[in-house]
Amino acid sequence: MNELAWADTRLAAVGGTSDVRQATRFASGRDPSPQGEAIASPPAIELESISKLFRTKNGTVLALDDINLTVEAGEFISIIGPSGCGKSTLLTITGGLVLPTSGKTSVFGAEVRRPVTDVGIVFQKDLLLDWRTVLQNVLLQAEMRGMDMEQAKVRARQLLKSVGLGDFENARPWELSGGMRQRVGLCRALLHDASLLLLDEPFGALDALTRDQINLDLERLWSAESRTALLITHSISEAIFLSDRVIVISPRPGRIIADVRIDLDRPRGLHMRKLERYAEYEDHLRRLIMPSSGGESV
Amino acid sequence: MMDFSRIRTLGLSPSSIAPIVTTVIILVVWQIASAMAWVPEYLLPSPLSIMKTIYIRREMLAVDTLITFYEIVASFLVAMAMGISLAMLVVRSRLFESAVYPLLVMSQAVPKVALAPLILIWFGFGLSPKIIIGALVAFFPILINTVSGIRSVEQDSIFLFQSMGARPWKMFLHLRFPTALPNIFGGAKVAITLAVVGAIIAEFIGANRGLGYVLIIANGMQDMRLLFAALTLISLLAVLCYWVISFIESMVLDWHVSTRGAHGHGTA
Repeated sequence: MNELAWADTRLAAVGGTSDVRQATRFASGRDPSPQGEAIASPPAIELESISKLFRTKNGTVLALDDINLTVEAGEFISIIGPSGCGKSTLLTITGGLVLPTSGKTSVFGAEVRRPVTDVGIVFQKDLLLDWRTVLQNVLLQAEMRGMDMEQAKVRARQLLKSVGLGDFENARPWELSGGMRQRVGLCRALLHDASLLLLDEPFGALDALTRDQINLDLERLWSAESRTALLITHSISEAIFLSDRVIVISPRPGRIIADVRIDLDRPRGLHMRKLERYAEYEDHLRRLIMPSSGGESV
Repeated sequence: MMDFSRIRTLGLSPSSIAPIVTTVIILVVWQIASAMAWVPEYLLPSPLSIMKTIYIRREMLAVDTLITFYEIVASFLVAMAMGISLAMLVVRSRLFESAVYPLLVMSQAVPKVALAPLILIWFGFGLSPKIIIGALVAFFPILINTVSGIRSVEQDSIFLFQSMGARPWKMFLHLRFPTALPNIFGGAKVAITLAVVGAIIAEFIGANRGLGYVLIIANGMQDMRLLFAALTLISLLAVLCYWVISFIESMVLDWHVSTRGAHGHGTA
Protein backbone atom coordinates (compact mmCIF):
# COMPACT_ATOMS: atom_id res chain seq x y z
CA MET A 1 0.00 0.00 0.00
CA ASN A 2 2.78 2.30 0.93
CA GLU A 3 4.55 1.49 -2.27
CA LEU A 4 1.53 2.33 -4.37
CA ALA A 5 1.09 5.70 -2.77
CA TRP A 6 4.75 6.41 -3.31
CA ALA A 7 4.50 5.41 -6.96
CA ASP A 8 1.56 7.74 -7.47
CA THR A 9 3.44 10.76 -6.23
CA ARG A 10 6.36 9.95 -8.50
CA LEU A 11 4.09 9.49 -11.47
CA ALA A 12 2.52 12.86 -10.92
CA ALA A 13 5.95 14.42 -10.65
CA VAL A 14 7.26 12.85 -13.84
CA GLY A 15 4.16 13.87 -15.74
CA GLY A 16 4.77 17.48 -14.85
CA THR A 17 1.34 17.89 -13.27
CA SER A 18 2.67 18.95 -9.91
CA ASP A 19 1.73 22.61 -10.05
CA VAL A 20 2.90 23.31 -6.53
CA ARG A 21 6.42 22.24 -7.30
CA GLN A 22 6.41 24.26 -10.50
CA ALA A 23 5.23 27.32 -8.69
CA THR A 24 7.95 27.01 -6.06
CA ARG A 25 10.59 26.76 -8.70
CA PHE A 26 9.31 29.74 -10.58
CA ALA A 27 9.30 31.85 -7.47
CA SER A 28 12.89 31.02 -6.63
CA GLY A 29 14.31 30.58 -10.10
CA ARG A 30 12.73 33.33 -12.11
CA ASP A 31 12.98 36.21 -9.72
CA PRO A 32 16.48 37.52 -9.02
CA SER A 33 15.51 38.32 -5.45
CA PRO A 34 13.81 35.24 -4.08
CA GLN A 35 10.86 35.82 -1.82
CA GLY A 36 8.94 33.90 0.81
CA GLU A 37 10.28 30.54 1.96
CA ALA A 38 13.15 30.63 -0.54
CA ILE A 39 14.89 33.36 1.47
CA ALA A 40 15.82 30.92 4.21
CA SER A 41 17.37 28.32 1.90
CA PRO A 42 21.02 28.75 0.93
CA PRO A 43 21.98 28.98 -2.75
CA ALA A 44 22.33 25.65 -4.53
CA ILE A 45 25.82 26.42 -5.74
CA GLU A 46 28.22 29.07 -4.54
CA LEU A 47 31.60 29.43 -6.19
CA GLU A 48 33.87 31.97 -4.53
CA SER A 49 36.98 33.10 -6.45
CA ILE A 50 37.67 29.66 -7.86
CA SER A 51 40.96 29.25 -9.71
CA LYS A 52 42.44 26.11 -11.15
CA LEU A 53 46.02 25.56 -12.26
CA PHE A 54 46.99 22.49 -14.22
CA ARG A 55 50.57 21.29 -14.24
CA THR A 56 51.61 19.92 -17.62
CA LYS A 57 54.94 19.01 -19.20
CA ASN A 58 55.18 22.50 -20.67
CA GLY A 59 54.63 24.29 -17.38
CA THR A 60 51.47 25.36 -15.65
CA VAL A 61 48.21 26.31 -17.33
CA LEU A 62 45.67 28.55 -15.68
CA ALA A 63 42.37 26.89 -16.61
CA LEU A 64 40.02 28.93 -14.45
CA ASP A 65 40.69 32.38 -13.09
CA ASP A 66 38.73 33.88 -10.20
CA ILE A 67 35.29 32.43 -10.93
CA ASN A 68 32.46 33.79 -8.79
CA LEU A 69 29.03 32.33 -9.35
CA THR A 70 25.88 31.87 -7.32
CA VAL A 71 23.13 29.55 -8.48
CA GLU A 72 19.82 29.72 -6.63
CA ALA A 73 17.96 26.53 -5.78
CA GLY A 74 15.69 25.54 -8.64
CA GLU A 75 17.57 27.47 -11.31
CA PHE A 76 18.67 25.96 -14.60
CA ILE A 77 22.05 27.42 -15.47
CA SER A 78 24.08 26.87 -18.61
CA ILE A 79 27.75 27.56 -19.00
CA ILE A 80 28.96 28.13 -22.52
CA GLY A 81 32.32 29.01 -23.92
CA PRO A 82 34.88 27.90 -26.50
CA SER A 83 36.46 24.48 -26.14
CA GLY A 84 39.29 24.35 -23.66
CA CYS A 85 38.00 27.26 -21.58
CA GLY A 86 37.77 25.06 -18.49
CA LYS A 87 33.99 24.80 -18.34
CA SER A 88 34.08 21.05 -17.73
CA THR A 89 36.62 21.62 -14.96
CA LEU A 90 34.18 24.04 -13.40
CA LEU A 91 31.57 21.27 -13.32
CA THR A 92 33.91 18.73 -11.74
CA ILE A 93 34.93 21.31 -9.14
CA THR A 94 31.27 21.99 -8.34
CA GLY A 95 30.72 18.26 -7.91
CA GLY A 96 33.71 18.01 -5.58
CA LEU A 97 35.37 15.58 -7.97
CA VAL A 98 38.34 17.86 -8.59
CA LEU A 99 39.67 20.31 -6.04
CA PRO A 100 40.27 23.92 -7.08
CA THR A 101 43.75 25.39 -6.67
CA SER A 102 42.19 28.19 -4.69
CA GLY A 103 38.73 29.40 -3.78
CA LYS A 104 35.75 27.95 -2.03
CA THR A 105 32.88 25.83 -3.32
CA SER A 106 29.61 25.36 -1.47
CA VAL A 107 26.65 23.25 -2.46
CA PHE A 108 23.41 23.93 -0.58
CA GLY A 109 25.36 25.83 2.03
CA ALA A 110 27.85 23.07 2.79
CA GLU A 111 31.49 23.54 1.83
CA VAL A 112 32.61 20.98 -0.74
CA ARG A 113 35.69 18.99 0.28
CA ARG A 114 34.86 15.57 -1.18
CA PRO A 115 32.61 14.34 -4.00
CA VAL A 116 29.09 15.70 -3.62
CA THR A 117 26.61 12.82 -3.52
CA ASP A 118 23.25 14.62 -3.54
CA VAL A 119 23.74 14.97 -7.26
CA GLY A 120 22.98 13.32 -10.58
CA ILE A 121 25.64 13.63 -13.27
CA VAL A 122 25.52 13.09 -17.02
CA PHE A 123 28.79 13.27 -18.90
CA GLN A 124 29.37 13.64 -22.64
CA LYS A 125 29.97 9.91 -22.88
CA ASP A 126 26.97 7.99 -21.59
CA LEU A 127 29.31 5.68 -19.57
CA LEU A 128 26.76 2.89 -19.63
CA LEU A 129 28.10 -0.44 -18.40
CA ASP A 130 27.99 -2.93 -21.26
CA TRP A 131 27.55 -5.91 -18.95
CA ARG A 132 24.29 -4.53 -17.57
CA THR A 133 20.90 -4.22 -19.22
CA VAL A 134 19.31 -0.81 -19.68
CA LEU A 135 17.26 -1.21 -16.49
CA GLN A 136 20.27 -2.46 -14.51
CA ASN A 137 22.25 0.53 -15.74
CA VAL A 138 19.64 2.94 -14.41
CA LEU A 139 19.47 0.95 -11.16
CA LEU A 140 23.23 1.21 -10.67
CA GLN A 141 22.50 4.54 -9.00
CA ALA A 142 20.22 2.83 -6.47
CA GLU A 143 22.61 -0.08 -5.87
CA MET A 144 25.57 2.17 -5.11
CA ARG A 145 23.48 4.24 -2.74
CA GLY A 146 21.85 1.28 -1.02
CA MET A 147 18.36 2.50 -1.90
CA ASP A 148 15.27 0.31 -1.66
CA MET A 149 15.54 -1.71 -4.86
CA GLU A 150 11.84 -2.45 -5.33
CA GLN A 151 10.90 1.22 -5.18
CA ALA A 152 13.88 2.14 -7.33
CA LYS A 153 12.77 -0.37 -9.95
CA VAL A 154 9.32 1.22 -10.13
CA ARG A 155 10.86 4.64 -10.50
CA ALA A 156 13.41 3.47 -13.08
CA ARG A 157 10.67 1.95 -15.24
CA GLN A 158 8.67 5.19 -15.07
CA LEU A 159 11.66 7.24 -16.09
CA LEU A 160 12.54 4.92 -18.98
CA LYS A 161 8.95 5.00 -20.13
CA SER A 162 8.84 8.78 -19.94
CA VAL A 163 11.76 9.06 -22.37
CA GLY A 164 10.31 6.45 -24.71
CA LEU A 165 12.49 3.53 -23.65
CA GLY A 166 9.81 1.53 -21.86
CA ASP A 167 10.24 -1.42 -24.20
CA PHE A 168 14.02 -1.45 -23.94
CA GLU A 169 14.62 -2.16 -20.26
CA ASN A 170 16.13 -5.57 -21.03
CA ALA A 171 18.21 -4.41 -23.98
CA ARG A 172 21.96 -4.13 -23.69
CA PRO A 173 23.53 -0.68 -24.19
CA TRP A 174 25.24 -1.65 -27.44
CA GLU A 175 21.89 -2.45 -28.98
CA LEU A 176 20.79 1.18 -28.60
CA SER A 177 21.50 4.28 -30.67
CA GLY A 178 23.55 7.14 -29.26
CA GLY A 179 20.47 9.19 -28.40
CA MET A 180 18.81 6.27 -26.64
CA ARG A 181 21.98 5.55 -24.67
CA GLN A 182 22.22 9.14 -23.50
CA ARG A 183 18.56 9.01 -22.43
CA VAL A 184 19.39 5.98 -20.29
CA GLY A 185 22.23 8.01 -18.77
CA LEU A 186 19.75 10.79 -18.05
CA CYS A 187 17.37 8.36 -16.32
CA ARG A 188 20.25 7.08 -14.22
CA ALA A 189 21.04 10.64 -13.13
CA LEU A 190 17.39 11.33 -12.22
CA LEU A 191 16.62 8.05 -10.43
CA HIS A 192 17.41 9.19 -6.89
CA ASP A 193 15.76 12.61 -7.08
CA ALA A 194 18.95 14.49 -6.32
CA SER A 195 18.66 18.19 -5.64
CA LEU A 196 21.40 19.01 -8.13
CA LEU A 197 21.82 17.94 -11.72
CA LEU A 198 25.25 18.34 -13.33
CA LEU A 199 25.32 17.95 -17.11
CA ASP A 200 28.69 18.00 -18.85
CA GLU A 201 28.01 18.46 -22.57
CA PRO A 202 25.70 15.47 -22.41
CA PHE A 203 24.25 15.85 -25.88
CA GLY A 204 27.32 17.10 -27.72
CA ALA A 205 27.81 13.87 -29.65
CA LEU A 206 24.20 13.62 -30.84
CA ASP A 207 22.70 14.72 -34.13
CA ALA A 208 20.54 17.84 -34.16
CA LEU A 209 17.16 16.08 -34.32
CA THR A 210 17.94 13.69 -31.47
CA ARG A 211 19.33 16.57 -29.52
CA ASP A 212 16.13 18.59 -29.87
CA GLN A 213 14.09 15.63 -28.69
CA ILE A 214 16.32 15.02 -25.66
CA ASN A 215 16.28 18.71 -24.81
CA LEU A 216 12.49 18.56 -24.68
CA ASP A 217 12.66 15.42 -22.50
CA LEU A 218 15.15 17.06 -20.19
CA GLU A 219 13.17 20.27 -19.83
CA ARG A 220 10.01 18.30 -19.03
CA LEU A 221 11.74 16.02 -16.50
CA TRP A 222 13.59 18.89 -14.88
CA SER A 223 10.57 21.15 -14.50
CA ALA A 224 8.61 18.30 -12.96
CA GLU A 225 10.94 18.38 -9.96
CA SER A 226 12.31 21.32 -8.07
CA ARG A 227 15.87 20.65 -9.08
CA THR A 228 18.84 22.83 -9.72
CA ALA A 229 20.67 22.11 -12.93
CA LEU A 230 24.09 23.12 -14.21
CA LEU A 231 24.61 22.40 -17.90
CA ILE A 232 27.92 22.70 -19.70
CA THR A 233 27.42 23.08 -23.42
CA HIS A 234 28.93 24.62 -26.52
CA SER A 235 25.56 24.98 -28.16
CA ILE A 236 24.15 28.49 -27.74
CA SER A 237 20.71 27.39 -28.86
CA GLU A 238 20.60 24.52 -26.37
CA ALA A 239 21.70 26.84 -23.58
CA ILE A 240 18.92 29.34 -24.32
CA PHE A 241 16.32 26.64 -24.76
CA LEU A 242 16.95 25.04 -21.39
CA SER A 243 18.21 27.78 -19.10
CA ASP A 244 17.09 30.49 -16.75
CA ARG A 245 20.56 31.98 -16.95
CA VAL A 246 23.43 31.52 -19.39
CA ILE A 247 26.97 32.12 -18.16
CA VAL A 248 29.58 32.89 -20.81
CA ILE A 249 33.19 31.95 -20.13
CA SER A 250 36.18 33.37 -21.96
CA PRO A 251 38.95 31.34 -23.61
CA ARG A 252 41.79 30.24 -21.33
CA PRO A 253 42.17 31.34 -18.66
CA GLY A 254 38.44 30.85 -18.12
CA ARG A 255 36.73 33.92 -16.69
CA ILE A 256 33.05 34.76 -16.50
CA ILE A 257 32.43 37.44 -19.10
CA ALA A 258 28.65 37.54 -19.11
CA ASP A 259 25.65 36.36 -17.12
CA VAL A 260 22.54 36.51 -19.32
CA ARG A 261 19.06 35.97 -17.92
CA ILE A 262 16.75 34.10 -20.33
CA ASP A 263 13.19 35.32 -20.04
CA LEU A 264 11.12 32.71 -21.84
CA ASP A 265 8.02 30.93 -20.61
CA ARG A 266 8.05 27.42 -19.22
CA PRO A 267 7.48 24.81 -20.35
CA ARG A 268 9.62 25.58 -23.36
CA GLY A 269 8.73 24.32 -26.81
CA LEU A 270 10.60 24.08 -30.05
CA HIS A 271 8.35 26.82 -31.52
CA MET A 272 10.03 29.31 -29.18
CA ARG A 273 13.10 29.19 -31.36
CA LYS A 274 11.15 31.22 -33.91
CA LEU A 275 10.55 34.01 -31.39
CA GLU A 276 12.32 37.28 -32.03
CA ARG A 277 13.55 37.30 -28.43
CA TYR A 278 15.13 33.88 -28.92
CA ALA A 279 17.02 35.13 -31.94
CA GLU A 280 18.14 38.19 -30.01
CA TYR A 281 19.49 36.06 -27.18
CA GLU A 282 21.25 33.87 -29.69
CA ASP A 283 22.78 36.83 -31.45
CA HIS A 284 23.82 38.48 -28.20
CA LEU A 285 25.50 35.33 -26.86
CA ARG A 286 27.23 34.63 -30.13
CA ARG A 287 28.75 38.11 -30.10
CA LEU A 288 29.95 37.53 -26.53
CA ILE A 289 31.62 34.23 -27.41
CA MET A 290 33.02 35.32 -30.74
CA PRO A 291 33.68 39.06 -30.77
CA SER A 292 33.42 39.73 -34.51
CA SER A 293 35.86 42.62 -34.50
CA GLY A 294 38.43 41.06 -32.20
CA GLY A 295 41.25 38.83 -33.35
CA GLU A 296 40.08 36.02 -31.07
CA SER A 297 39.56 32.87 -33.06
CA VAL A 298 37.49 30.08 -31.64
CA MET B 1 24.79 -13.05 -18.41
CA MET B 2 25.00 -16.68 -19.45
CA ASP B 3 23.39 -18.15 -22.51
CA PHE B 4 23.45 -21.92 -22.53
CA SER B 5 21.91 -22.26 -25.95
CA ARG B 6 25.38 -21.34 -27.15
CA ILE B 7 26.70 -24.75 -26.18
CA ARG B 8 24.98 -26.27 -29.18
CA THR B 9 26.74 -24.01 -31.63
CA LEU B 10 30.18 -24.87 -30.25
CA GLY B 11 30.21 -28.39 -31.67
CA LEU B 12 29.11 -28.25 -35.24
CA SER B 13 29.53 -24.90 -36.95
CA PRO B 14 31.43 -24.95 -40.28
CA SER B 15 34.28 -22.93 -38.77
CA SER B 16 34.88 -25.54 -36.08
CA ILE B 17 34.67 -28.46 -38.52
CA ALA B 18 37.45 -27.06 -40.72
CA PRO B 19 40.34 -27.69 -38.27
CA ILE B 20 39.00 -31.19 -37.56
CA VAL B 21 39.09 -31.97 -41.28
CA THR B 22 42.66 -30.64 -41.51
CA THR B 23 43.69 -32.82 -38.57
CA VAL B 24 42.13 -35.91 -40.10
CA ILE B 25 43.93 -35.29 -43.41
CA ILE B 26 47.29 -34.92 -41.63
CA LEU B 27 46.69 -38.12 -39.65
CA VAL B 28 45.74 -40.07 -42.78
CA VAL B 29 48.81 -38.88 -44.71
CA TRP B 30 50.98 -39.65 -41.67
CA GLN B 31 49.48 -43.12 -41.37
CA ILE B 32 50.04 -43.80 -45.08
CA ALA B 33 53.62 -42.54 -44.84
CA SER B 34 54.29 -44.93 -41.96
CA ALA B 35 52.54 -47.86 -43.62
CA MET B 36 54.53 -47.38 -46.82
CA ALA B 37 57.66 -47.23 -44.65
CA TRP B 38 58.65 -43.78 -46.00
CA VAL B 39 59.66 -42.93 -42.45
CA PRO B 40 61.02 -45.63 -40.13
CA GLU B 41 58.79 -46.61 -37.22
CA TYR B 42 61.63 -46.09 -34.68
CA LEU B 43 61.78 -42.40 -35.59
CA LEU B 44 58.12 -41.63 -36.21
CA PRO B 45 55.57 -44.21 -35.16
CA SER B 46 52.27 -44.21 -37.03
CA PRO B 47 49.16 -42.61 -35.53
CA LEU B 48 47.48 -45.99 -35.19
CA SER B 49 50.38 -47.51 -33.29
CA ILE B 50 50.45 -44.47 -30.99
CA MET B 51 46.74 -44.89 -30.31
CA LYS B 52 47.33 -48.60 -29.71
CA THR B 53 50.04 -47.79 -27.18
CA ILE B 54 47.75 -45.35 -25.39
CA TYR B 55 45.09 -48.06 -25.28
CA ILE B 56 47.42 -50.79 -24.00
CA ARG B 57 48.93 -48.55 -21.33
CA ARG B 58 45.69 -46.80 -20.57
CA GLU B 59 45.67 -47.50 -16.83
CA MET B 60 49.17 -46.16 -16.24
CA LEU B 61 48.70 -43.20 -18.63
CA ALA B 62 45.33 -42.27 -17.15
CA VAL B 63 46.91 -41.76 -13.73
CA ASP B 64 49.80 -39.76 -15.20
CA THR B 65 47.41 -37.64 -17.23
CA LEU B 66 45.27 -36.91 -14.19
CA ILE B 67 48.31 -35.92 -12.14
CA THR B 68 49.57 -33.56 -14.83
CA PHE B 69 46.07 -32.19 -15.34
CA TYR B 70 45.78 -31.53 -11.63
CA GLU B 71 49.13 -29.71 -11.62
CA ILE B 72 48.13 -27.58 -14.59
CA VAL B 73 44.76 -26.58 -13.13
CA ALA B 74 46.19 -25.93 -9.66
CA SER B 75 49.10 -23.84 -10.93
CA PHE B 76 46.77 -21.92 -13.23
CA LEU B 77 44.42 -21.11 -10.36
CA VAL B 78 47.31 -20.07 -8.13
CA ALA B 79 48.64 -17.93 -11.00
CA MET B 80 45.23 -16.26 -11.42
CA ALA B 81 45.00 -15.50 -7.71
CA MET B 82 48.59 -14.19 -7.65
CA GLY B 83 48.25 -12.17 -10.84
CA ILE B 84 44.94 -10.52 -9.99
CA SER B 85 45.78 -9.72 -6.37
CA LEU B 86 49.21 -8.33 -7.30
CA ALA B 87 47.53 -6.25 -10.01
CA MET B 88 45.08 -4.87 -7.46
CA LEU B 89 47.99 -3.91 -5.23
CA VAL B 90 49.84 -2.26 -8.11
CA VAL B 91 46.80 -0.19 -9.06
CA ARG B 92 45.76 0.54 -5.48
CA SER B 93 49.09 1.56 -3.96
CA ARG B 94 51.56 3.99 -5.46
CA LEU B 95 54.23 2.75 -3.07
CA PHE B 96 53.74 -0.86 -4.14
CA GLU B 97 53.75 0.20 -7.77
CA SER B 98 57.01 2.13 -7.51
CA ALA B 99 58.77 -0.25 -5.10
CA VAL B 100 57.71 -3.72 -6.20
CA TYR B 101 56.20 -3.59 -9.69
CA PRO B 102 59.53 -2.87 -11.45
CA LEU B 103 61.07 -5.83 -9.62
CA LEU B 104 58.24 -8.08 -10.74
CA VAL B 105 58.76 -6.97 -14.32
CA MET B 106 62.53 -7.40 -14.10
CA SER B 107 62.17 -10.81 -12.48
CA GLN B 108 60.67 -11.97 -15.75
CA ALA B 109 64.14 -11.68 -17.26
CA VAL B 110 65.20 -14.64 -15.11
CA PRO B 111 64.33 -17.81 -17.00
CA LYS B 112 61.95 -19.48 -14.58
CA VAL B 113 62.90 -22.87 -15.93
CA ALA B 114 66.32 -22.24 -14.43
CA LEU B 115 64.70 -21.74 -11.03
CA ALA B 116 62.95 -25.09 -11.16
CA PRO B 117 65.80 -27.17 -9.62
CA LEU B 118 66.04 -24.68 -6.78
CA ILE B 119 62.31 -24.82 -6.07
CA LEU B 120 62.46 -28.63 -6.08
CA ILE B 121 65.21 -28.52 -3.46
CA TRP B 122 63.22 -26.08 -1.35
CA PHE B 123 59.84 -27.77 -1.60
CA GLY B 124 60.67 -31.42 -2.11
CA PHE B 125 59.30 -33.92 -4.55
CA GLY B 126 55.53 -33.74 -3.94
CA LEU B 127 52.99 -31.94 -6.09
CA SER B 128 53.47 -28.51 -4.50
CA PRO B 129 56.82 -27.66 -6.17
CA LYS B 130 55.25 -28.45 -9.57
CA ILE B 131 52.33 -26.19 -8.81
CA ILE B 132 54.68 -23.42 -7.63
CA ILE B 133 56.81 -23.67 -10.76
CA GLY B 134 53.73 -23.72 -12.98
CA ALA B 135 52.26 -20.70 -11.19
CA LEU B 136 55.54 -18.76 -11.38
CA VAL B 137 55.73 -19.38 -15.10
CA ALA B 138 52.08 -18.50 -15.69
CA PHE B 139 51.18 -15.55 -13.44
CA PHE B 140 52.98 -12.77 -15.29
CA PRO B 141 50.67 -12.33 -18.30
CA ILE B 142 47.72 -12.26 -15.92
CA LEU B 143 49.36 -9.55 -13.83
CA ILE B 144 50.30 -7.35 -16.79
CA ASN B 145 46.91 -7.71 -18.46
CA THR B 146 44.93 -7.11 -15.30
CA VAL B 147 46.91 -3.97 -14.49
CA SER B 148 46.31 -2.48 -17.92
CA GLY B 149 42.67 -3.58 -17.80
CA ILE B 150 41.97 -1.91 -14.48
CA ARG B 151 43.82 1.19 -15.67
CA SER B 152 41.67 1.43 -18.78
CA VAL B 153 38.70 2.61 -16.70
CA GLU B 154 37.70 6.10 -17.79
CA GLN B 155 38.17 8.98 -15.38
CA ASP B 156 34.59 10.13 -15.91
CA SER B 157 33.31 6.68 -14.93
CA ILE B 158 35.23 6.97 -11.67
CA PHE B 159 33.72 10.44 -11.17
CA LEU B 160 30.27 9.00 -11.82
CA PHE B 161 30.72 6.29 -9.19
CA GLN B 162 32.14 8.81 -6.72
CA SER B 163 29.11 11.02 -7.22
CA MET B 164 26.96 8.01 -6.34
CA GLY B 165 28.86 7.71 -3.07
CA ALA B 166 30.14 4.26 -4.08
CA ARG B 167 32.54 2.65 -1.62
CA PRO B 168 35.93 1.71 -3.14
CA TRP B 169 35.21 -2.02 -3.04
CA LYS B 170 31.87 -1.49 -4.75
CA MET B 171 33.59 0.55 -7.41
CA PHE B 172 36.08 -2.28 -7.86
CA LEU B 173 33.37 -4.90 -8.09
CA HIS B 174 31.03 -3.02 -10.38
CA LEU B 175 33.41 -0.94 -12.48
CA ARG B 176 37.12 -1.78 -12.39
CA PHE B 177 36.89 -5.56 -12.32
CA PRO B 178 34.28 -5.96 -15.10
CA THR B 179 36.14 -3.41 -17.22
CA ALA B 180 39.34 -5.43 -16.76
CA LEU B 181 37.70 -8.80 -17.45
CA PRO B 182 38.41 -8.93 -21.22
CA ASN B 183 42.08 -8.25 -20.47
CA ILE B 184 42.10 -10.77 -17.63
CA PHE B 185 40.79 -13.46 -19.98
CA GLY B 186 43.42 -12.49 -22.54
CA GLY B 187 46.06 -13.03 -19.85
CA ALA B 188 44.41 -16.25 -18.70
CA LYS B 189 44.61 -17.76 -22.19
CA VAL B 190 48.33 -17.13 -22.33
CA ALA B 191 48.72 -18.29 -18.73
CA ILE B 192 47.03 -21.64 -19.25
CA THR B 193 49.47 -22.61 -22.01
CA LEU B 194 52.35 -21.49 -19.80
CA ALA B 195 50.96 -23.54 -16.91
CA VAL B 196 51.19 -26.62 -19.13
CA VAL B 197 54.83 -25.79 -19.91
CA GLY B 198 55.55 -25.22 -16.22
CA ALA B 199 54.02 -28.52 -15.13
CA ILE B 200 55.89 -30.55 -17.76
CA ILE B 201 59.21 -28.87 -16.96
CA ALA B 202 58.74 -29.49 -13.24
CA GLU B 203 58.05 -33.14 -13.97
CA PHE B 204 61.15 -33.36 -16.16
CA ILE B 205 63.33 -32.27 -13.33
CA GLY B 206 62.00 -34.12 -10.35
CA ALA B 207 58.97 -36.37 -10.44
CA ASN B 208 58.03 -40.02 -10.37
CA ARG B 209 54.60 -39.59 -11.96
CA GLY B 210 52.98 -37.39 -14.56
CA LEU B 211 53.21 -37.09 -18.36
CA GLY B 212 56.47 -35.12 -18.19
CA TYR B 213 57.99 -37.99 -16.24
CA VAL B 214 56.64 -40.49 -18.81
CA LEU B 215 58.32 -38.43 -21.55
CA ILE B 216 61.69 -38.62 -19.79
CA ILE B 217 61.37 -42.36 -19.13
CA ALA B 218 60.24 -43.09 -22.70
CA ASN B 219 63.14 -41.04 -23.97
CA GLY B 220 65.58 -42.98 -21.82
CA MET B 221 64.21 -46.30 -23.08
CA GLN B 222 64.03 -45.02 -26.67
CA ASP B 223 60.37 -46.07 -26.62
CA MET B 224 59.11 -43.82 -29.39
CA ARG B 225 55.54 -45.06 -29.20
CA LEU B 226 55.27 -44.26 -25.51
CA LEU B 227 56.98 -40.92 -26.10
CA PHE B 228 54.47 -39.99 -28.77
CA ALA B 229 51.64 -41.30 -26.63
CA ALA B 230 52.68 -38.94 -23.82
CA LEU B 231 53.12 -36.06 -26.29
CA THR B 232 49.64 -36.68 -27.68
CA LEU B 233 48.08 -36.65 -24.23
CA ILE B 234 49.94 -33.47 -23.24
CA SER B 235 48.75 -31.73 -26.39
CA LEU B 236 45.18 -32.86 -25.83
CA LEU B 237 45.35 -31.62 -22.23
CA ALA B 238 46.66 -28.24 -23.36
CA VAL B 239 43.97 -27.89 -26.02
CA LEU B 240 41.26 -28.93 -23.58
CA CYS B 241 42.39 -26.41 -20.96
CA TYR B 242 42.54 -23.61 -23.52
CA TRP B 243 39.13 -24.54 -24.84
CA VAL B 244 37.60 -24.51 -21.36
CA ILE B 245 38.96 -21.00 -20.74
CA SER B 246 37.67 -19.75 -24.09
CA PHE B 247 34.31 -21.27 -23.35
CA ILE B 248 34.05 -19.61 -19.94
CA GLU B 249 35.15 -16.38 -21.59
CA SER B 250 32.40 -16.52 -24.18
CA MET B 251 29.85 -17.16 -21.42
CA VAL B 252 31.02 -14.45 -19.05
CA LEU B 253 31.90 -11.82 -21.65
CA ASP B 254 28.77 -12.12 -23.75
CA TRP B 255 28.54 -8.34 -23.50
CA HIS B 256 31.99 -7.69 -24.93
CA VAL B 257 32.67 -6.56 -28.51
CA SER B 258 34.84 -9.62 -29.16
CA THR B 259 32.03 -12.09 -28.49
CA ARG B 260 28.74 -10.31 -28.98
CA GLY B 261 28.55 -10.47 -32.80
CA ALA B 262 29.21 -14.18 -33.04
CA HIS B 263 26.22 -15.34 -31.08
CA GLY B 264 23.31 -13.75 -32.81
CA HIS B 265 22.84 -10.76 -30.52
CA GLY B 266 21.41 -7.81 -32.34
CA THR B 267 23.89 -5.05 -32.97
CA ALA B 268 22.89 -1.45 -33.30
